[in-house]
Amino acid sequence: MENLLHVGKNVPRTAEIDKVTGHAVYIDEYKRPGMLYGKILYSQYAHARIKSINTEKAKKLPGVRAVITGYDIPDVRVGFLGDQTVLKRDIVRQFRDEVAAVAAITPEIAEDALKLIEVEYEPLPAIFDPIEAMKPDAALVHETDARGRPLRSNILPLPWKFSAGDVDKAREESTYVVKHDVTTPWINQCCMGTSGCVAEFDSNNNLTYCAQTNVIFGAKQRIATYLRNIGLKGKKIRVLNPVVGGSFGTKLDTDIYEFICIQLALKTRKPVKIRFTREEEFAALPPRQASRFTIEQGCDKEGKLTFRKVDAILDNGAYTSWGATTPSVMMLPISSMYRVPNVSFQATCVYTNNIYSQAMRGYGNPQAAFAVETSMDLLAEKAGIDPAEFRLINRNHPGDVTPMGLKITTCPLEECINTVKEKIKWDEKRGKKNGRGVGMASLIHVAGGARVYLSDGTGIRIKVNEDGEVDVLSGSTDQGQGSPTVIAQIIAEATGFRPEDVNIVFGDTALGLWDAGTHASRHTFVAGNAAVRAGELIKRQILELAVQHIPKLVKRSLKQQQKKNPDFVPPELDYTLIDSPDKLELKDRMIYPREAPDHPYFKTEVGKILTSGLHVGVGESKAVAAEVFWDPPTQMLNAEMKGNYSCTYAFGTAGVEVEVDKQTGEVKILKLVSAHDVGRAINPTLVKGQIYGAAYIGIGYGLTERVQVVDGKVVNANFRDYKILTANDNIPVEAVIIEDPDPAGPYGAKGIGEPGLVPTAPAIANAIYDAVGVWIKDLPITPEKVLAALKAQGQ
Amino acid sequence: MKAYDYHKPHTVKEAIDIMGGLENAKYIAGGTDVMVLLRQGKINPANLVSLRNVAEISRIDTQNGIRIGAGVTHTQIANNEFIREHYSALADGAGVVGSKQIRNVATIGGNICNAAPSADTACPLLVLDAEAVIAGKSGERQVPVDDFIVGPSQVALEKGELVTGFVIPAFGDRTGSAYIKHARRLAMDLPILGIAVRATVKIGGAQAACRDAFKLTDVSDIVKRLEAEGLVLEDVRVAMSVVAPRPVRARKAEEAAKGKTISEKVLEELGEIAASESKPRDSFRGEAWYRRDMVKVLTKRALLKSIERMTGASSMVAPSRLW
Amino acid sequence: MKKEITFTLNNEEVIVEVDPKWTLIHLLREVLELTGTKEGCGVGECGACTVIVDGEAVNSCLYPVMEVEGKTVATIEGVALPDGTLHPIQQAFIENNGVQCGYCTSGMIMSAKALLDKKSDPTEDEIRTGISGNICRCTGYVQIVESIQLAAERMKK
Repeated sequence: MENLLHVGKNVPRTAEIDKVTGHAVYIDEYKRPGMLYGKILYSQYAHARIKSINTEKAKKLPGVRAVITGYDIPDVRVGFLGDQTVLKRDIVRQFRDEVAAVAAITPEIAEDALKLIEVEYEPLPAIFDPIEAMKPDAALVHETDARGRPLRSNILPLPWKFSAGDVDKAREESTYVVKHDVTTPWINQCCMGTSGCVAEFDSNNNLTYCAQTNVIFGAKQRIATYLRNIGLKGKKIRVLNPVVGGSFGTKLDTDIYEFICIQLALKTRKPVKIRFTREEEFAALPPRQASRFTIEQGCDKEGKLTFRKVDAILDNGAYTSWGATTPSVMMLPISSMYRVPNVSFQATCVYTNNIYSQAMRGYGNPQAAFAVETSMDLLAEKAGIDPAEFRLINRNHPGDVTPMGLKITTCPLEECINTVKEKIKWDEKRGKKNGRGVGMASLIHVAGGARVYLSDGTGIRIKVNEDGEVDVLSGSTDQGQGSPTVIAQIIAEATGFRPEDVNIVFGDTALGLWDAGTHASRHTFVAGNAAVRAGELIKRQILELAVQHIPKLVKRSLKQQQKKNPDFVPPELDYTLIDSPDKLELKDRMIYPREAPDHPYFKTEVGKILTSGLHVGVGESKAVAAEVFWDPPTQMLNAEMKGNYSCTYAFGTAGVEVEVDKQTGEVKILKLVSAHDVGRAINPTLVKGQIYGAAYIGIGYGLTERVQVVDGKVVNANFRDYKILTANDNIPVEAVIIEDPDPAGPYGAKGIGEPGLVPTAPAIANAIYDAVGVWIKDLPITPEKVLAALKAQGQ
Repeated sequence: MKAYDYHKPHTVKEAIDIMGGLENAKYIAGGTDVMVLLRQGKINPANLVSLRNVAEISRIDTQNGIRIGAGVTHTQIANNEFIREHYSALADGAGVVGSKQIRNVATIGGNICNAAPSADTACPLLVLDAEAVIAGKSGERQVPVDDFIVGPSQVALEKGELVTGFVIPAFGDRTGSAYIKHARRLAMDLPILGIAVRATVKIGGAQAACRDAFKLTDVSDIVKRLEAEGLVLEDVRVAMSVVAPRPVRARKAEEAAKGKTISEKVLEELGEIAASESKPRDSFRGEAWYRRDMVKVLTKRALLKSIERMTGASSMVAPSRLW
Repeated sequence: MKKEITFTLNNEEVIVEVDPKWTLIHLLREVLELTGTKEGCGVGECGACTVIVDGEAVNSCLYPVMEVEGKTVATIEGVALPDGTLHPIQQAFIENNGVQCGYCTSGMIMSAKALLDKKSDPTEDEIRTGISGNICRCTGYVQIVESIQLAAERMKK
């Protein structure tokens, strides 16, 4: 396997050249003839009864083509728990509730029309604190469930309860026990390209839907269900991706604006585009799930973890998207980060009148890792053990089966921790309490797919053209991480072509085979595995052609030479060297006998075989094409929330050195080292890009970012007040790739899309403690919080 | 967005004349504030009168102090060697406004006339005793910037008047100044608090010794060394932003500083007094107690930075976040 | 109320009728169909709309179209040579993963170009300040800064 030509190389992202010349077509540029522009009117209240809506004035505005409210479209429920409708009737339950929508010939006219819609509300008491909302006498956010049955509580009927071993007994037997609370905020994914879509029906009511979704077949299914429910049964749906300006989780679920766009297209019989403003992106798109944890951990006197008990409360907001399912990933670090035999975890999702949440890079892992990894430092201190040593004592090992049933295959966690220790100068800098300090945190994440749907598979279809181009049709998507380059490298390696020969077509349900979606750090692993297998089939087909055609070509050439030179004596050639595909190899576009790689007559450029053997010959014309659908051998979580839901797991460690200004509470990151187990780096430059980018979001999570919600309303819905770090906030990040090829991965690769984000924030919190001796357990760690904690300690 | 007409005068007189003949008109300079307000529908003028092409207000004149045209951009100010050396606080302030792109077009006149409580050039102008030069139909007048900024988005301009520039006196060799923007990020941010200080000092001992003091790493050691050299605060200005509806001077602190030999105790007191003069409020951007605390800390730091610059140790090192 | 303006756009003279209330980005994207310039926020807080006017990087979303009269404007579409050869900055972004989702890339490259046009050998700090008005969510800026450094090196040769 070491003799790889394309895997492991820093192949440039040439396939995306349009992104540097300004010619890439994002949803912003996607245009259709006669296209209209949709805009949405949102609620003015966190909780209110809609007394009346008057759209007459808006309808009369020149250029307006449609104005719709909940009363104009079928009353059909959508979403994961079916707890909302597309446009709200009667009651609004959050500020971002969609009340009406307009389609007009320009976005400006649509915007003006919104201002002409008159809505009369009767405000209702709203509830914003999930703890209050859990109380038995709390006012209900929803009176009934999706099927109209009365609800008695704001607590969602979700099964997030996990238990392994005997936590109570283990607690009693523990030498040291720590318990603390942490809270994490809503985080906006902040895709630079805002959300948008274009919906277009043909005269048969078949829908072509251009959307940024990362899960084109999932979106297709949800839209098909919706269309069926509104009376459009059996209609064909084609979902297409434009170039996508970032996702970070936002493109997993099908959002309400998308259904609105479809309704406007249906109503107007025209293509309709909705594209969010930045303010909408902040206020009307579900962010990362906010959470509160109580975590208790114990260890014995040698420092071996004995138990971990975690209770989480998630503010679900008014409706349910993927935010409510993040406990399925929170379980991952809680049950399986480090060896811990007894684990209990319970997550309670509570309806409130706040904004609701969805996926973001890392899913629930960053939240849970913040709880687990700060607790590790607290416990290490109590046990009198260096936190790095404490992590090494409890580290996972290859071959472990964790309490959740995860089967750990490769696991270079020890190397990750030690690399960070060395690079951050741990032993030299730790424990000074002089305003500077170091901290670390580790992570475990799915890296071999994630069986969250019944299918976790990806299909890859490859065809080779007679001109030597390799077309790859896939139902996957790319949101900027560089998947086309990575898949091209894998296919080039597997087929024997070069990456530049490979043409990747992503994001079209009509062309690609099913894919469970580009999410959960699964694409390189799952699509890569399908690609390797499909590539090998292609290679086999070409070698079969070569067995027939190399002798023909050689004989023809010898004849020609004889013609030119009558004295030429043809050599005696051993054709048994190439009489079976097994005896041939195809590498870097050259076909040659394995026994004689430099054979002067048999070594043939693949293009010659293709022109000679492909699509020609009466009655024996051939095509070279293959398709493989690969679904990893994994399990869905069972009723006890157990199961090996990924083929392999990625580990990693972040180490941070900080300087804390004791007078202002400001924290400066002097160095961040992020060492990640990637199995094998298919493209090291791209892998580093994933680590750097994720780590930077992690720093924001740790120090500056939060969606500020005051009485249900987002008050910092812009880039001035939502503090994404800039290039000037020069934080030296070192990404370290730890390679330990995984037998199940394509050429040994594991997924690396999300991990970089996960350990960053807890590593910062731990470093701050090392620097100045205060624990900030609620993110983000603002100067106010640090200074207040220092003052409370009398510093 | 409502339609508006766009006028492009080339002289101050022309601008005033055009303005005089228009209803519902607004001046626009770099436009980085006005264009945002327009987009957000917060203003709806029928006419914009652009000052971008008025060459006479886009100059910097360095005779008898300095006169900075209102149309000078933040980039020009931040890069101007004369301002960096003699009016460092202003270069500090201009250099940290928004982003590079914003600084390339946003003007100092616009920053002041927009009169945000957080304007980054306002505190520097206050401590540099700057006066706004105002032109109107009846001629020119000068108003101290301290009187010119009235409140949030409110300045002392009569109808049709415009600011053509700012004049700042010369301060001599014994003066240094600094502005510290306390923000969450190092670009694209509003200050949680801004502090500018100008200090004119008298040194009993040797200036070289004072300069060397800043090579020490511990702040209290630096102060002790300065104290030993008999460094007296002759004339001090302190201005604070985001602690009141408009950037304000800490006059009691200024008064208290007069004639004092520098010491840790004096610095502590000045910070306390300035903090007592601040009236910050809680907002989602920052908490009042924290802002008040930062007035204390940053007044001291900005004062020391001013002295450091005066001694010539580092004329233009940006005030670092961490002392 | 339309007015005619003349200016130089990517080395060509353009005469076009504009509405005074337009911004430069509106003219570029909606009228001239140069859609490489992106609107990420519309209020000068993200830098995706950065273009170069008379040598300076500016936010085209805040630039009144009437001020373009007589000026020289460069957009991402004019950065590569007319035969399609990439500018060294573009080449470096492709090679060094300076581009991920690509949405900030046009603005990022224009800010980098404005910087390198003025200063062929900038320090890392100068590069970072030069692009500090351009927000990127994908890269953490590391490989963008590296790409600009790589381009600067190559441009010197």
